[in-house]
Amino acid sequence: MTGARNKEYEQALQKKINIKKESSTYLNLLERYKQQYKNKQQFFHRPVNEKEMNDEAANLANERIQEMAEKELATENLTRENYATFFGKCLEKPLFVIVTFIPGILMYLLLLVYPRPMIRYIAERLVQTLFVIISVIIFVFTILHFSPTDTAANILGEAATMEQREAFNQQYGLEQPYIVQLWDAIKGILTFDLGSSYTGNENVIKTISDRFPITLTIATWSLLMSVIIALPFGIISAAKRNSFWDYSFMFIALIGLSIPNFWQGLIFILTFAIKWNILPATYYPGDMASIIMPVIVLGTGLTASVARMTRSSILEVISEDYIVTAKSKGLLPRSIFMNHALRNAMIPIITIIGLQFGGMLGGAAVTEKVFNISGLGSYIVDKQFIPDIPSVLGGVVYIAIVISIVNLVVDILYAFLDPRIRSEMKKT
Amino acid sequence: MTLPKTFILKNSQKYKHAHFAFVLSLALTIVCFFNAYDYQEGLWSVSWSIVTLAYLIGTVLQGVLIQLLKKDLRDKGEIQKRTRVLSTLQLLGITVGNVFITAFAFRVLRKEESIEYTLAYYMLLTNILIFTVSLFNIFKPYVSNTFLPSMSILALFIIFSLITVIIFGKIDLIQGGYSKLKWLGGVVLLAGFTGNLFGFVLGYSILLKTVIRDDSKIDRWNKFWLSITKNFTAMLGLLFVIFTFSISVISYGTFVDRFATENNYASMLMEPSLAYPFGTDDFGRDVFSRIIYGARISLTVGVITTIIPLVIGGFLGALAGYYKNTLDNVLMRILDVIYAVPGILLAIAIIAAFGSSTTNLIIALSVGSIPTYARTMRANVLSVSNLEFVEASKALGESEWKIIFKQVVPNSFAPMIVKASLTIGTAVIATSSLSFLGLGVEPHIPEWGNILKVGSMYLETNPYLAIFPGIAIILLVLSFNFLGDGLRDALDPKLD
Repeated sequence: MTGARNKEYEQALQKKINIKKESSTYLNLLERYKQQYKNKQQFFHRPVNEKEMNDEAANLANERIQEMAEKELATENLTRENYATFFGKCLEKPLFVIVTFIPGILMYLLLLVYPRPMIRYIAERLVQTLFVIISVIIFVFTILHFSPTDTAANILGEAATMEQREAFNQQYGLEQPYIVQLWDAIKGILTFDLGSSYTGNENVIKTISDRFPITLTIATWSLLMSVIIALPFGIISAAKRNSFWDYSFMFIALIGLSIPNFWQGLIFILTFAIKWNILPATYYPGDMASIIMPVIVLGTGLTASVARMTRSSILEVISEDYIVTAKSKGLLPRSIFMNHALRNAMIPIITIIGLQFGGMLGGAAVTEKVFNISGLGSYIVDKQFIPDIPSVLGGVVYIAIVISIVNLVVDILYAFLDPRIRSEMKKT
Repeated sequence: MTLPKTFILKNSQKYKHAHFAFVLSLALTIVCFFNAYDYQEGLWSVSWSIVTLAYLIGTVLQGVLIQLLKKDLRDKGEIQKRTRVLSTLQLLGITVGNVFITAFAFRVLRKEESIEYTLAYYMLLTNILIFTVSLFNIFKPYVSNTFLPSMSILALFIIFSLITVIIFGKIDLIQGGYSKLKWLGGVVLLAGFTGNLFGFVLGYSILLKTVIRDDSKIDRWNKFWLSITKNFTAMLGLLFVIFTFSISVISYGTFVDRFATENNYASMLMEPSLAYPFGTDDFGRDVFSRIIYGARISLTVGVITTIIPLVIGGFLGALAGYYKNTLDNVLMRILDVIYAVPGILLAIAIIAAFGSSTTNLIIALSVGSIPTYARTMRANVLSVSNLEFVEASKALGESEWKIIFKQVVPNSFAPMIVKASLTIGTAVIATSSLSFLGLGVEPHIPEWGNILKVGSMYLETNPYLAIFPGIAIILLVLSFNFLGDGLRDALDPKLD
């Protein structure tokens, strides 16, 4: 149909052009372009070529005539049929617009999100996090899947018959191809249903959700402790740079970084539980005194690194140009430090704390083993000896997911807090 | 005139060093004091009391020296001869193992700072420490066949280092005209093969200034090593790292394998004594020998698990940073996935799949730290590849690989070295943590984490089993951290 309509249009156009060519406008145009050519050649000191002149003038005049004809046709509501005009007309009908939402919903969302930098940033980070979470599941599952050990033989013992092993494989879907198992694992993690573990026949998700709170509690307390201790010490060190206190605090912080968690735990048990008998050596649920040592042990490394980070971050900010400006304006050193240096230095510190929180959840495994806490970390360690694949997979992946979400929240908070990031976002 | 002199005092590295040595010496005195007194029986141990007294004298003398230094620097602007002479006494500190005040004394003795002199006396200190630690073997029931020859060589090295210290205390290679010293340089370089890496550095330094004589190279070398040798904490870290490395090499000659690895039921769970300085474990194995042997494993695993991700991560990071856009996005998103899983948990997952062994442990720990190295390298390459010299080599038509690996990577490598030296410590901790959990090095191998695992079972009755290997780990990690901080100051001055 469009073909026929276009033909009609071409005919009308041709007719218009022919009429125009007869008129005096065409001759005027030809004369003008010839003159133009002559002027040009004269300017460049080149000889006038009669044939070239005629061709060029005819071409330019024809182009001009066609343009004029198209314009006149357009005033008579005749245009060449193409995609743009067709859909332009369609969009004038409200029903069509509603129908476009069915295939185009994603595009509409993109258009909605893209011009707003803040929402775009959050959306991008969300998609990225989702990608990371799915990839982590694939990554960890693949590592565990390509284990050279035969799981069935491992768990049922060498004495198990072939039938028993096959039954075991069938029960846990181990005879299926890699892709099917992978899909099951992704589905299982995202819908919180990983089935039961290989040994003990416990529900993996239930065990993990039972054990996660204590790990999270200890990690959170450690985080709080380290922020409360580390920030003041880091600030003092930076304010009194190269003083005795600076050296002492940073030396202690370096020792804190160098102490292995498990050794510190053992020494604490030896000193506070065995020798002085003031704190319980192992953790009992509900006994707040027994949580003190694990919290301190887990938090030591973080405290040390946050203190060092605070110091170096403040020192970096102090050498910035705007601090020099503030000084030259005659602001008191105290108010420069509090209002200009400290506030700006806090921003990288928050990121470090967010990143270190992840490391702490990982490091919790060792601390939990030392203090005999039945948290998620010690669960993964216990299960890896079997090795109980669903439990290890679930434990590792859920911790990674929690860390990814914490980092996502930190990044978004950051975007709200830091005007520099906002202006950066608007630029791109 | 007073202002410049207080400035000199404030900025004097020697004065700071004096304080540092004083504080550490005081701390050691207090530790010795607590060891000397037995709470349960209310008795003073004679040998510990003597050591405590020696440390106390050293500490008091150090306190006096600080005051003298302060007076000298404030009144005269430079250290006076009397202070130098007095500090000679502090050299005796090495007899009780107080390397802090001894190193300080050596430093004050020479008027000007000199790279060769500093390296020489640290080489001497390392040799003396190794000799002393190896000497503990004479209290054992028997010694290895190679013990006497090894000890004689060590003794020769001590004398030789002493001569080197005296020579470089007097002369300065910068002035030139010491071409005969190239032979000394060669011999010192050979001494490096005993594991005393100070020998390598010193030997190269001498050869560089007597044989190669390339001014731009000498300049760069001096700038780097002056910054390191002036930094006493970095040198102390280097001292202990090289000591650990050297003793792991020399222990092949001076230590008997059997004490460390074979069960001896006649001497189970014995308290520390001269024959067994750190006691014996539940199978009657000498914990002292086990810790020395464990140093090999810890250092090897720590270094390898740093080098593998350094190379792989560095390579990927360089590619990502140089070829921006698509490759960068793909590589960094893949590495983000590894980055999202905490290192220890990733290692546990890998070990769960492939079983626990030293090789698997190394692979597991290496994989986890690839992303951080890649990120560091990428950031550096991004900034370096915009510089003019890269543009120039592009204009000259160099191939891209040559530009990346001859121009861009060498110029963005300094932060990687700093990062590596700071993460070796983390790798050592991770290795021993995993061994402690039973996921790392095979349990029969004397690795520090394994020794601690045994110690944790006898915490109530034989706490020394857990204390000593832990101290070894802390000292090694602390040394690497000190060294890393020093390297960062030397290579990346803008971070200071």
